[in-house]
Amino acid sequence: MSYDLTIEPIGQTLALEDGQTILDAALRAGIHLPHACGQGYCGTCKVRIVDGTVDHGNASNFALMDYEREEGLALACCATLEEDTTVEAEVEVDADERSIPVRDFTGRVVGLDDLTPTIKAVRLSLDQPLDFQAGQYVNLELPGGIGTRAFSLANPPSGATEIELNIRLVPGGVGTSWIHRQLAVGDAIGLSGPYGRFFVRKSADMPMIFLAGGSGLSSPRAMILDLVETGSSLPITLVYGARNRAELYYHADFLELAARHGNFTYVPTLSDEPTASDWAGRRQFVHEAARDHFGNDFRGHKAYLCGPPMMIEASISTLMQGRLFERDIYTEKFFSAADAQQVRSPLFKRV
Amino acid sequence: MDMKVDKKLGLKERYALMTRDLAWETTYQPMDKVFPQVTYEGIKIHDWNAWEDPFRLTMDAYWKYQAEKERKLYAILDAFNQNNGHLSVTDARYINVLKLFLGSTPPLELMAARGFTNVGRHMVGAGPRVACLMQAVDEYRHFQTQVHSISNYNKYYNGMNEFAHQQSRMWYLSDGKSFFDDAITAGPFEFMVAIGFAFEYVLTNILFVPFISGAAYNGDMAAMTVGFSAQSDEARHMTLGLECIKFMLEQDPDNLPIVQRWIDKWTWRGTRKLASVGMMMDYMLPKRIMSFKEAWEMYFEQNGAALFNDLARYGVKVPKCFVQTVAEKEHVTHQSWIGFYMKPDSTPFHTWIPEKDELDWLSEKYPNTFDKYYRPVLEHFDAQEKSGNRFNNKTAPMNCQVCISTIKFNDPDDPMKTLIRSKTYKGEKFHFCSLHCEEIFDAEPEKYIQAYISSHQVLQGNCAPEGVDTTAPDFEPGAHIAAYWRLDKAATGDFNGSEDQANFAAWRRQATSN
Repeated sequence: MSYDLTIEPIGQTLALEDGQTILDAALRAGIHLPHACGQGYCGTCKVRIVDGTVDHGNASNFALMDYEREEGLALACCATLEEDTTVEAEVEVDADERSIPVRDFTGRVVGLDDLTPTIKAVRLSLDQPLDFQAGQYVNLELPGGIGTRAFSLANPPSGATEIELNIRLVPGGVGTSWIHRQLAVGDAIGLSGPYGRFFVRKSADMPMIFLAGGSGLSSPRAMILDLVETGSSLPITLVYGARNRAELYYHADFLELAARHGNFTYVPTLSDEPTASDWAGRRQFVHEAARDHFGNDFRGHKAYLCGPPMMIEASISTLMQGRLFERDIYTEKFFSAADAQQVRSPLFKRV
Repeated sequence: MDMKVDKKLGLKERYALMTRDLAWETTYQPMDKVFPQVTYEGIKIHDWNAWEDPFRLTMDAYWKYQAEKERKLYAILDAFNQNNGHLSVTDARYINVLKLFLGSTPPLELMAARGFTNVGRHMVGAGPRVACLMQAVDEYRHFQTQVHSISNYNKYYNGMNEFAHQQSRMWYLSDGKSFFDDAITAGPFEFMVAIGFAFEYVLTNILFVPFISGAAYNGDMAAMTVGFSAQSDEARHMTLGLECIKFMLEQDPDNLPIVQRWIDKWTWRGTRKLASVGMMMDYMLPKRIMSFKEAWEMYFEQNGAALFNDLARYGVKVPKCFVQTVAEKEHVTHQSWIGFYMKPDSTPFHTWIPEKDELDWLSEKYPNTFDKYYRPVLEHFDAQEKSGNRFNNKTAPMNCQVCISTIKFNDPDDPMKTLIRSKTYKGEKFHFCSLHCEEIFDAEPEKYIQAYISSHQVLQGNCAPEGVDTTAPDFEPGAHIAAYWRLDKAATGDFNGSEDQANFAAWRRQATSN
């Protein structure tokens, strides 16, 4: 039997599987709850049950006292639900998060364009407007038992009923193979959204750096177009990397955007372009291009990272050694069960 | 009437309101006079408010929580003691783990309490001050509960009653004492790296495994419950150490080389201290949990590597000693136990040659080293003991000037060679157990030439009871040492044939037969 878990103060509701702990569900949904031992000994993950009932599982009597149980506290790493439950946890309330409820939509394919040899732009016309924050993603429901796949929205929210997804063909990937080979203009497809906590922290009012690799451009593109449309005058820099010139898409659009908006700087870079080609731009990885462009000093910025894991990891190190730290770095990383199992150290929470 | 309804406060905001104004800019005296210690180590802090306090625990909640823990713990201790719990341990050899623990650990908890009290006084921000205060009280509590849980054993077994006297005098307790002496005489930030980071985070699991799991595996519910009660504080302690490292590294790029030097130093000092802890796992627990080698691989090599991968983002490098600790993990526990066995007149706990099945266990756990280097030595000693020729090393050990370990560990490149390094400083010769300790000395020689080394004190005539003329021509430095240590003869030497062994067997017989 599965139950719904609502996490306050952010008000997000998650469907928990039978036997799934509150911590596991929260981390998988990208909601960071403080935690340490993961097995009920330390008490770091204490939450307050506002409504509902939980089973405390293996919570130690020293980490969760009897009086605390009576007062409605629980350890998120051990607690499973016995009915629909609301908990209050130490989740950072983000002033810029709009907490838009997730809804179901039906989309009709109105465009399928090859952006690069491996990336297609899929344009969908929806049955109702989709309200979202630039940077968020949707889940596409793929047929034939494939299941759902998450894709970032590549268009700014002003698009109302038409959305664009940029989808890379993952070698051997069942879902992306189906989209690249089977999906046709005119097809109907189900989707739900918006999801994710990757969005611009506009209230910080600080210059922004976007680091994007490959099809990880989708979210930064939506965020930058939204900033420009809404008249942001803050400095915005996009460092965008692809393997070679053929994989670099929307290049002309960004050149043109930079020409029109003095506060937007575009830094394209190629990591594996044939040396003999006529590419006159940078031939580096994204993190190297960012380091050189900013002279190894990223202080006073907010940085948004989207791309393959290796690029994210290298970029985080580069930013930190250039004096920009966790509180100013946002990635589209999803927490996995491995985080709860402490494969990583607890030094960082989000990055 | 229009009412403005504020959004409900989150836990973080509520905590901030509950604790704000605990730190303020002083006006009667300038801040640098009030907080004189936070600058001289070279650590640069620009914004104390950037200190993140992830626990959001207020003092009133802390007292309530700890009081409840105490009630629960003492109820279990009472039940254990009233039920003659000491007779339920696996076998009487286990009690020697408690003796070694009692001498080495509770006094260090007390030192930690002193250290955190001092650092709490000297940190400028309210976040670290409150966290240090709570940790200081925790450490007092750990000291007290450890002593209380073991005090019941003291009614029945030898060798425990003089632990407080012995702590600062006994040769083999000098390494732990020197670890904390070094830490609390350092500046506040170095203390945080030494204890908060190296000890409470990097090495803490290696301590907890033999004590808590060891107690659980060997039927000691009292010590096990003390451990669980302490472990619920440890998450807070680890977080404080990690937070301090992050804070220093983020505040100023000039802090990196200083922090790196401290990480190198304290990871090595902690590693040396753990050799005798590992010995408990491999030799002293009748029911073993895992080998020291396995614990080192799991907790230091794997979890430690995860931490150092993350720290690499700040530019921190893996501690220099990492490679040597990996090379030593198959040697140090055997060398330590053999070292203790060879000195039967000098410890308030018993030693023994492992039984055959225990030797086989060690052969299996240490396939590269045990049969080749250590089993033949132990079997030789066993044969000697059985033929009435028990080996007894009556000389005083030679100690490393920095970590005060006895010099007995092998050269990482040659297991048959003892590693010793020596150098002359201001006309006096000093010895070191390793290159790492020598480098620690070189960084602060004036600090380490003051180290208290009990072997030297004995030879200098400083360890004789009052009234003995240490200048007399026939004065024998070693003759009075047992009295100086207040060492109970019944607590020393071989477990086999000891009073503890006989009593335990007799009491257990009484408890299980008619």
